[in-house]
Amino acid sequence: MPPPKKGPIDSLLALVRRAPKGPPPVGETPHDVVWTENKWRLLHFSSSGRRYRRPILLVPSLINRWYVLDLGPGRSLIEWLVARGHDVYCIDWGTPGDEDRYLTWDDICGRYLGRAVRLVARRSDSDVHVLGYCLGGTIAAAYVAAFPDDVASLLALAAPVDFAHAGIMSTWTRTPTFDVGAILDAFGNIPWPLMQASFRMLRPTLNAAKVVGLLDRAWDDEFLDGFLATERWGNDNVSFPGACYQRYIDELYRQNRLVAGTFSVLGRPARLPAIECPTLAVAFADDNIVPAAAAGPLVELVSSRDKQVVIDRGGHVGAVVSRKAADRLWPALHTFWAQRD
Amino acid sequence: MIWDMWKQGFDAWEKATAQYMEKVLTNPSVLGPAGAMLTAAMKTKAATDRAMSAWWAGLGLPTRRDQERALHKLNQLESRLYDLEEQLVDKKRAGA
Repeated sequence: MPPPKKGPIDSLLALVRRAPKGPPPVGETPHDVVWTENKWRLLHFSSSGRRYRRPILLVPSLINRWYVLDLGPGRSLIEWLVARGHDVYCIDWGTPGDEDRYLTWDDICGRYLGRAVRLVARRSDSDVHVLGYCLGGTIAAAYVAAFPDDVASLLALAAPVDFAHAGIMSTWTRTPTFDVGAILDAFGNIPWPLMQASFRMLRPTLNAAKVVGLLDRAWDDEFLDGFLATERWGNDNVSFPGACYQRYIDELYRQNRLVAGTFSVLGRPARLPAIECPTLAVAFADDNIVPAAAAGPLVELVSSRDKQVVIDRGGHVGAVVSRKAADRLWPALHTFWAQRD
Repeated sequence: MIWDMWKQGFDAWEKATAQYMEKVLTNPSVLGPAGAMLTAAMKTKAATDRAMSAWWAGLGLPTRRDQERALHKLNQLESRLYDLEEQLVDKKRAGA
């Protein structure tokens, strides 16, 4: 006889039982901090059973915490890669201070990411697999286009590249009355609550849907832990450095310069056709933050002979950190790197 | 059973409402005034901050902006020093 189906009462009881435990731990995979500069840090997750020569450098989004890639045991891409013998590094962009309003795209993409790539390459005596997630993927693509040295491959995970097809965000940022300069004058950095509010406006019913989803499945401990970890991450955002944001909106969202081939990093042209290393673009069919039409075109624009695009099911975050990700997405990433070691 | 039926109804409502809201929130006649309001609010805040800074500077004290600029310059100097150190290491390696 099958067990009786559980419902919202069981979920409520599970939530009451779970409450005293507090938020789930995140970012727990053992690591060393190998570099600190201004607010950013380079984290190293070494593998005791290293099987692959080339290290992997993970570049998360500027506006979210790095630990989305290390969201607790069983939900951590980093833990999963380390267990398979990869030597993993991850950038923690940190929390910008008020003085970082002057931090430019060149500082972040050219100087900081550049330093991270060179450090990892020097420490490993090898070129580096670079993975960029979301805005981190855009930053990584621009960097690799301008400075291809030391990069073994580029993996862009839900990374917007073609901003003409960047969905609602593109429509909003192209509104003539939206004055980026006025926000920067007022705040310096773009405050995270303002950005979080705009992300919530992408689907205003999402919070109600989350509550119903929680009532439907919170009795499942694994689901509940994953939900709470993701929510913890989703509500722990950081502000966007002002000068960098202005260029991001003006030159990428409004002028689509990465696609037009007129973008630059530290004065060097960042033309996507200059990317010749193996390239994989992963996009998600239900992603309303970075639609597949904005992420997929990367592979059409690069000159690499070894390139592919994967459009998977799922949303912007769930598809990267869910249980399904461990079954589908993570093995695909691992295979991509293992075959190009 | 009742919960499953209610949830199906909720899912349908949520999907329809989200689609409707997307249309509203991408409508230029909504976005134009919303952008103008945001810009006006930001300009008001910036003007208030500037007035405060002018008063503060009048007392001969560094303003918040002065301090931000100084700290940013220090961070830039730190980065340039790291750049130089990297170049030295590269030169040493090339010479070795």
